[in-house]
Amino acid sequence: MSSVTLKNLSKSFGTVKVLHDLNLDIEEGEFVALVGPSGCGKSTLLRIIAGLDNATSGDIWMNDKWVNDFSPRERNIAMVFQSYALYPHMTVEENIGFNLRISGLSKADIKSRVSEATDILDLGQLLDRKPSQLSGGQRQRVAMGRALVRNPDAFLFDEPLSNLDAKLRVQMREEIKRLHQKVRTTSIYVTHDQIEAMTLADRIIIMHAGRIQQMGTPTELYKNPANVFVAGFIGSPSMNFLHGQIQTNQGKAQVLLPSGATIDFIDRGNLPADGRVVVGIRPEHLEFATAENRDNVFEGKVDLIEPTGAQNHLKISVNDQTLTLVDTSLRELNIDDTIRIHIPVEKVHVFPHSE
Amino acid sequence: MRHLSKIGLHAVMLIGVLITIFPFVWVALMGTHTRGDIYSSPPPFYVGNNLLQNYAELLDIMPFWTVLFNSLYISVMGTIAAVLFCSMCAFGFYAYNFKGKNLIFGIMIASMMVPPVLMLIPSFLTLKYLGILDTHFALWFPGAASAFGIFLIRQYMGNSITRDLLDAAKVDGASDFRIYWSIVLPLIKPALATLAIVIFIGLWNNFLAPLIILSSPDKFVLTLALRSVQSIANSPWGAIMLGTFLSMVPLLLAFMFFSRQMMDGLTAGAVKG
Ligand SMILES: Nc1ncnc2c1ncn2[C@@H]1O[C@H](COP(=O)(O)OP(=O)(O)OP(=O)(O)O)[C@@H](O)[C@H]1O
Ligand SMILES: [Mg+2]
Repeated sequence: MSSVTLKNLSKSFGTVKVLHDLNLDIEEGEFVALVGPSGCGKSTLLRIIAGLDNATSGDIWMNDKWVNDFSPRERNIAMVFQSYALYPHMTVEENIGFNLRISGLSKADIKSRVSEATDILDLGQLLDRKPSQLSGGQRQRVAMGRALVRNPDAFLFDEPLSNLDAKLRVQMREEIKRLHQKVRTTSIYVTHDQIEAMTLADRIIIMHAGRIQQMGTPTELYKNPANVFVAGFIGSPSMNFLHGQIQTNQGKAQVLLPSGATIDFIDRGNLPADGRVVVGIRPEHLEFATAENRDNVFEGKVDLIEPTGAQNHLKISVNDQTLTLVDTSLRELNIDDTIRIHIPVEKVHVFPHSE
Repeated sequence: MRHLSKIGLHAVMLIGVLITIFPFVWVALMGTHTRGDIYSSPPPFYVGNNLLQNYAELLDIMPFWTVLFNSLYISVMGTIAAVLFCSMCAFGFYAYNFKGKNLIFGIMIASMMVPPVLMLIPSFLTLKYLGILDTHFALWFPGAASAFGIFLIRQYMGNSITRDLLDAAKVDGASDFRIYWSIVLPLIKPALATLAIVIFIGLWNNFLAPLIILSSPDKFVLTLALRSVQSIANSPWGAIMLGTFLSMVPLLLAFMFFSRQMMDGLTAGAVKG
């Protein structure tokens, strides 16, 4: 097992810079998820860590060894690809044992290690099948087995579950989590599914346009997003954003919206000098106003109701803005009903306007 | 009704087969007759009784088995070399990025547009300069790097081998040669078989190149030897037909072998993993 450290890592393809000065510390045994929208450079970063691509500048350290010039083999990493990339002409057993065979292990050793891995992954029945005779989930497990069998220092996953259907994805997610709890190998897991990232990872790294936006535990990212991008990326349905201007009214920090309405918030510092801000409110923090609520109460009209079972997602138009509200009380409402909603002051996020 | 159309289809196919196979049968039958019988009218479309004499005459007018072996040697060596070199070269073009790759590939493709006949004299002069005229090496080796072969295999790789697969092998710790040998080669078998059969037939049937390159009769190949005895005023047609028929047999065997490989490969690739 090993730690992974990146220092000022940059990557350009020709004149296009896709990774900008990344700095990153991944501890031994940690499970880190790398999330971000399509094209933000996740795969590129993973391939550089794997040693399949070279960084344009910057350093990669694994276990305090400078590995920039190391091949994937020398780094002793294993990688699971989105396409699984199983060798079509080899059986499951040969696929999993291929890297052991390259290492020159004896036939008996290979056999015992392969069967160890296939036992963990429940592939024992399928050893003689070719990849074309397997289902998607089974192929995925073979790909995992191929990575697992060599006891690598680090696992790299590039969207390993994105080709599976929703149900299987949840099941495999659990298996990966269980596997990691068992073997405790440092893992870097690329996904653009935030639920996958949140459920699996000890720490999440959010990337956008080749830059790391924020790193932290799932709860940290949810509670204290560093900027509008992270705030909008984490959480589902995603956060409501309103543009406005800060002002102080009788000692209370407020945001003045273009409509003239104001939202109180708690000043935690880090406010821009020009006062232009974006207010963020999570849909699940919006609530129906009660008689006691005095501040941060708004009147709105129900635009749309999306039932999802345990909760309803309501689109409410307030002063020409549409806010999403998650209603867990499943209140009976009709389109165009007028309702009063309340924003708890401690749940209001305020970000500088810059982006 | 469906039954009837099936019978019709089979009849058409049968006629096709008969037309295709007729010349072969004809040649085989002529190999058993004397020259006189062959020229009789109507031609004798049955098995004659002159086979052994024809065989003796064949051995008399040319060192038949030596010549057959020469042909076989050149075709087999050329085929192995071409399959090996073309697949390696195609792998290079497919799996690696280097400066000028597209330019080199383009030039190579362009070279396919030059008619082979135009290259006859330059290649003769080159071989002469190298001092390898009148050798078998000069016949099979230069064709080993075939632009057509490289192109064919390169294109096939594009469809059958994903970059992830090469990356996966790299992560598994395979060396470049190991990737080529253990991953790439097994997956491009159908293309290899196709190329092998094209090259084999080309070398086996080649007449022009042996004609200008070879001069010693004991180095002759079949095409050349069978042609050279026809200039004799009284061409011994029975013997020549027998020789011609015998010369077709290895080709037939080669085809059966490679087409089997082609089929195996094709069905294996059909349901990709
Ligand atoms: N070989 C390449 N040559 C040029 N540009 C590339 C190359 N590979 C990737 N890019 C560019 O780098 C950027 C990052 O690509 P990357 O594949 O890392 O994105 P990603 O975050 O993995 O996206 P996705 O979620 O869609 O897989 C993209 O804009 C892409 O177009
Ligand atoms: Mg990607």
